[in-house]
Amino acid sequence: MINKTRKHKLESPKQKHNRHKATEAIMILDKMKHDFKEPPKAMKYFYDLFERVHCKNEPLHSDKVKVGTMCIQVPSEIIYALDAVPLRLCNGFYTNDEIGSDFLPSKACPLVKATIGEFVSNNFSDKPDLIVSPTTCDQKAKSGAIIEDLGFSVYDMEFPRTKESHESREYWRRSVRKFTKDLSADLGKKITKKRLKKSVMQVGYAQHLYHKLNVLRKNIKSPILGIDMFLVTNAFFFDKIDKWIEAVDVLIKECEQRVEDEYDCAHKRSPRIVYTGSPPIFPNLKIPLLIEQADAIIVADETCSSNRMFNDMVSVDEWFVNDMIDGIADRYLKGCTCPIFTKNEDRKRRIIDLVKEYKADGVVYQAFAGCQVYEMEQRSVLEAMEKEGIPIIYLESDYSPSHLGQLTTRIEAFVESLKNRKRKAK
Amino acid sequence: MNKIKNFINHADLRKFRFWLQLFFFVFFIYGGYLAIDLGRELPIFACGYNHEIAGTCYFMPLQHQLARPWETLFSVASIGVLTSFFVFLLWFIVFNKAWCGYACPMGTLQDWITSLRKFFGITYSTYTQPQYESLKKIKYIFLIIVIVFPLLLGLGILDGEWRGAFCDMCPGRIITPMFVGDFSQWSIDFSTKTAIFLSSFGIVFTALFFVGSFIKKRFFCFFCPMSAMHYIFSDVALLRLKKDGDKCTKCGDCYNVCDMQIKDIADDVKSTNILRDDCILCLKCVAACPEDDALHLDLVNYPIFKSTKGGFAKRMEIDRWEKKDD
Ligand code: SF4
Ligand code: SF4
Repeated sequence: MINKTRKHKLESPKQKHNRHKATEAIMILDKMKHDFKEPPKAMKYFYDLFERVHCKNEPLHSDKVKVGTMCIQVPSEIIYALDAVPLRLCNGFYTNDEIGSDFLPSKACPLVKATIGEFVSNNFSDKPDLIVSPTTCDQKAKSGAIIEDLGFSVYDMEFPRTKESHESREYWRRSVRKFTKDLSADLGKKITKKRLKKSVMQVGYAQHLYHKLNVLRKNIKSPILGIDMFLVTNAFFFDKIDKWIEAVDVLIKECEQRVEDEYDCAHKRSPRIVYTGSPPIFPNLKIPLLIEQADAIIVADETCSSNRMFNDMVSVDEWFVNDMIDGIADRYLKGCTCPIFTKNEDRKRRIIDLVKEYKADGVVYQAFAGCQVYEMEQRSVLEAMEKEGIPIIYLESDYSPSHLGQLTTRIEAFVESLKNRKRKAK
Repeated sequence: MNKIKNFINHADLRKFRFWLQLFFFVFFIYGGYLAIDLGRELPIFACGYNHEIAGTCYFMPLQHQLARPWETLFSVASIGVLTSFFVFLLWFIVFNKAWCGYACPMGTLQDWITSLRKFFGITYSTYTQPQYESLKKIKYIFLIIVIVFPLLLGLGILDGEWRGAFCDMCPGRIITPMFVGDFSQWSIDFSTKTAIFLSSFGIVFTALFFVGSFIKKRFFCFFCPMSAMHYIFSDVALLRLKKDGDKCTKCGDCYNVCDMQIKDIADDVKSTNILRDDCILCLKCVAACPEDDALHLDLVNYPIFKSTKGGFAKRMEIDRWEKKDD
């Protein structure tokens, strides 16, 4: 390191930032590639993609208008239909977390800090031209203003925080219609039936592929590790959608072959885990990594950086623009199990269903220290799982690479107890 | 067996329904030419004013039967009233409300009017929730007219001119004969004040039928007393619309396609029997649900058509993607 600095004489802040990011990225990628049984060959596309974007800062969308999104609730179908690309900006870098810390209360969520940190450093491989910030959790909603102060243009998209009522459906539909109109005016592009339908179908196809891949994990011998799945879904944040589709298509074929060959990417007695809680976002995949390093395997998840991003689909009865927009709006509200909503019955039902469907042995609930809503829901989810007799562990973590010892011990103990339970059940 | 199941669950419901509806429409409206007669106890608006009908709407005989003087009505002489009721029930119990979604000529006609609207590129309208809640009660008022009015007639409280009052008000009387070239029902009966009222109501309601169903999907079904009548017996029907709430994500895809705007279909995760009074058992919701097994149509307790991820993808045509440049 010292040598390197000397050679370059003076490292600019940007270079330093890049170097830190690259180190974080490479570290996790290396572990994913080498610490486990051989990953599917098709994963190479994704390993390379993250390296290209996060280590080499390669832009992917230089020819397009880029719309940054602060949450999954921003309808990507509409952005694609207006010939722009959505880029999900939720950030997972510890380096950025540290930079962002100066702008937020010390107890704020590391994800929000890191996202702001990226804006402060203004060091994007694909710089968003416009940022859409839905009013989801308090910290996200309020960071819109901070980002605006940093000189970016931010669009606040109103999002209801209850979803049971009919009013909330109407309110959100209106909000999405308004967003469509405003964005279309801003980009000077008209939304047409044909283009909207095409983008609904394309995003739908991507979702369909995700599901096709995901259900393969129901096999007792799962063909793919949870951590690799997280990488695949994380890539959807920023990758070119058609490239992503191609790569996942190849990956599915390979995984289907693995299922046929009864290849097990974990071990015979590896406990099967459902992962829920604050979203693991590259390179902060440390909890999934620790779980799988401890010889468990994540077979399903309930997080917004993965399953929730793909799960609910758009259904349309009549392919008119208004009808499609309403259908799209519903997709992002009604089925959403985000903890920002007043009630969390749906989330509990979903986790239980995942445990049953994916024959899981236990649940890992992870919340970022500072992610209030996930921290708050922890108790009720734990209670619900206990009632169902599903073992669950609650972990709190942040983005810092230190203090891994304690987390490791707890995870290992949990995995061990699941193994014992499995043994006894036999 | 699995192959057959898979085939059914992936079926293109739209096409299946279109052809079945067309078949039943022709069958009922023109069946008389082939001397088909399924009796006078059908649970659909196959109106007997159409002389070529292949079977008649049960409401027509029902109103006449109930209008007998009470002494006769409640004596052995009226055993026929009971038998026709059982025949009606028998017809109904097998197919449940699928009569509405697949066989009723008035229902089919509305779906065709919907297709016409789509052809013109006009979007449909919906009721707001409060409108919905109050309007849905109207069909029960009509049902009272069908059942209670004849009884009052039998008691002598109402005059003879109220005989068959609902038929006079019903658009089915005016519309169904039109398909065999009989337009004579488009008239106002000036014989008495009541007759003027009832027959003009019929004309207005018929006009509303056309305008309404052009704007709103299945406009008339919402007010249909037959639908209300069905609902009373739907719990014992063999064909059942079921839901497994554990599998439901409340995404609302089913609600989105439901012609009858039934919210429970998406929001209720507790009931297993999810058939509601407005439902026409069209099964569009089952076809539009992306979750495996969340919604299904059961014959008694055996599922014959289920929601599946694969079926959803196929019907939405998102199970493939061809790059098309535009
Ligand atoms: S479409 Fe299926 S999953 Fe969605 S709300 Fe309806 S029943 Fe539930
Ligand atoms: S609930 Fe389902 S079957 Fe009933 S009317 Fe609505 S879409 Fe049709």
